Amino acid sequence: MTIATMMSENGKELSITVDGKFDFSLHQSFKEAYSSFSEQNMIIILDLSKTSYLDSSALGMILLLKDHAEKNANKIMIKNPNEAVSKILKIAQFHRLLTIDG
Amino acid sequence: MQGLMLNSQEKVALVVDDSARQSNVLSCLLIEEGYKIISAENGLEGVDKYIKYHPDLVLMDVNTSRMDGYEAARKIKTHSGQYSLCPLIFVANESDDHAYTKSIEAGGDGILVRPFSIAVFKAKIKSIQRISDLYSQVKRLQQLQDADVEIAEKLMSDVIEARNFGLDRIGILKKPAALFSGDIQLSVGCPNGDVNVLLGDFTGHGLRSSIGAIPLSETFRAMTKKGFSLLDIVTQINTQLYHLLPADLFLAATFITVSSHEESIFILNAGLPDAYIFSADAKIKHKISSSHPPMGVIEHLLPDVAISAISVQAYDRVILFTDGIVEARNKQDQMYDYSRFESAVKHGILAGDVSQFVLASVEEFCQEMEQEDDLSLVDIPCSGWQQNYAKVTFVDDTLSGEYQSSIYASSSPAWEWQLLLTGKRLSAVNPIPIVISHIHEIEGSGEQWLSLQTILSELYANSLEHGVLGLSSALKAYPEGFTEYYRERESRLKVLNSGFVDIRLQYFPLLNGGRLAIKINDSGQGFDVEKIQFKLTQNVHTQTKLCGRGIELVEHLAESLEYCDGGRTVKATYLWGH
Repeated sequence: MTIATMMSENGKELSITVDGKFDFSLHQSFKEAYSSFSEQNMIIILDLSKTSYLDSSALGMILLLKDHAEKNANKIMIKNPNEAVSKILKIAQFHRLLTIDG
Repeated sequence: MQGLMLNSQEKVALVVDDSARQSNVLSCLLIEEGYKIISAENGLEGVDKYIKYHPDLVLMDVNTSRMDGYEAARKIKTHSGQYSLCPLIFVANESDDHAYTKSIEAGGDGILVRPFSIAVFKAKIKSIQRISDLYSQVKRLQQLQDADVEIAEKLMSDVIEARNFGLDRIGILKKPAALFSGDIQLSVGCPNGDVNVLLGDFTGHGLRSSIGAIPLSETFRAMTKKGFSLLDIVTQINTQLYHLLPADLFLAATFITVSSHEESIFILNAGLPDAYIFSADAKIKHKISSSHPPMGVIEHLLPDVAISAISVQAYDRVILFTDGIVEARNKQDQMYDYSRFESAVKHGILAGDVSQFVLASVEEFCQEMEQEDDLSLVDIPCSGWQQNYAKVTFVDDTLSGEYQSSIYASSSPAWEWQLLLTGKRLSAVNPIPIVISHIHEIEGSGEQWLSLQTILSELYANSLEHGVLGLSSALKAYPEGFTEYYRERESRLKVLNSGFVDIRLQYFPLLNGGRLAIKINDSGQGFDVEKIQFKLTQNVHTQTKLCGRGIELVEHLAESLEYCDGGRTVKATYLWGH
């Protein structure tokens, strides 16, 4: 299982962790990780601390997550990307679109 | 043709058995299941008939003469890949683990051990046929996908990139991955002799990654040819892709205008790795990092989006590339990365062929490792783009038919056109494409308007920048000042809410051509006209602040050029002939 989803006890914080390579092969499972949650005013944390690599399809998937989050007035935050992943996010200037922490 | 007429719907089974009696039994059962039968008496004949008829099913006795069943199966399986999965079932007399293992190792898809009932036999055939059908279906889908990818690649190379401009001078490296990944390179000549280049990388793989390519190339080409500014083009492409593509599909791209007569480049990197400017002696002069999210991600460009203006020298080169190069991997899973890339580019510049050097270097690094992403690089020289404007050699300066008879001939134009832009509209609208489009509509399109467009662009830019905005071109004399000039221009434009530029055109048709009178008037402070007029009439190459490279160009292209009204009005005429 390369994608793990965890909901906090108070139901206000959804964590999605991607382990290993984040690329187009995860398209379906990444979508399934969040699409069943439609609570309002929730914080969605995309934890990339275990993500070794990210390709442009993954950036696209993050944009889909952003769309989903905005529809439900959720906040979204990307956490702890490693150096290689940070570089890719920076080239795509994603810090202009989403909050990136760490 | 092959001595056996086959209905394409009819399934064919090959029965290989030494014993005529056993062969007959199997054949009868298979006929009941709707098969047409071909039989072979030994292993060797079995292989021959397999190659000749490509049956849908093979029943192979383990103990055949001349070539045993296992060996025959191996031979058959080496041929079967080309057609489809042809299931091969062994028929054996002994049932031990060894026979099972051996039959699977030889490429068999199943084994039937005598004695077996008719029901067991038929069930076996049905189940194996089901797998075979599934295999064919997957194979068909695979072929469809391959065909789609082929279309995508062909579309990119034949339809879109074949129309690129200046390919004799722009070096392009393009190596699609096994599964084509949506890299696109475009180059288009601008009306004023500049060149616009785009290197882009669509998200995803295969056909999916190329659906945005047609609208992208159409927009980039059409707007460039009409003389829109790079920022106008980027704005339009972003909006277009945002509305056209699904949310997870976008285009990372670097846009660049190389202007020989301005000795500068204008560049925006939206989501690609750093673009480089190298000097003739292969030193890195600039790196231009991504400063905006890719195209099609957000509906409107970020408010602080800025095209960087960088002054360059004649033998500088701009190198653009996509992440496929720096992320290429070898068998040890190491990345090619930036330092190897920079070193290969340097060697390439000194040797005079950047794309070949980089390709050779990447291939040497990766060896036989198959790459997941396209490799693309564009290498653009910074000079030599000024097109050779056809000098007007002779124009019969008499009016055409309908005006000839008129006594007002010399004073009445065939049409007049005026546009007065004020305040905020000056920063929002670029009037040049509007003007040119009007002229095209009235007089038809043609090469003759290219030079006119340059004249209008330069004169309008002067009126706006030096007149309304009060910018001094003295700034542009130094590389640092150059960037400063454009930054200042942007910031003054943003807060502009007064002032005007008034453009008036009059067109006089001639017997074999025409004359266009241009008058542009601005709300600025004007300048010392006499000094400029003197320099112009003396036709000396001058370093005078107000007489920049743009005016030199206009002077060269226009029939006449004159400043009046204390420098607030410029009048020019443009003469063209067939």
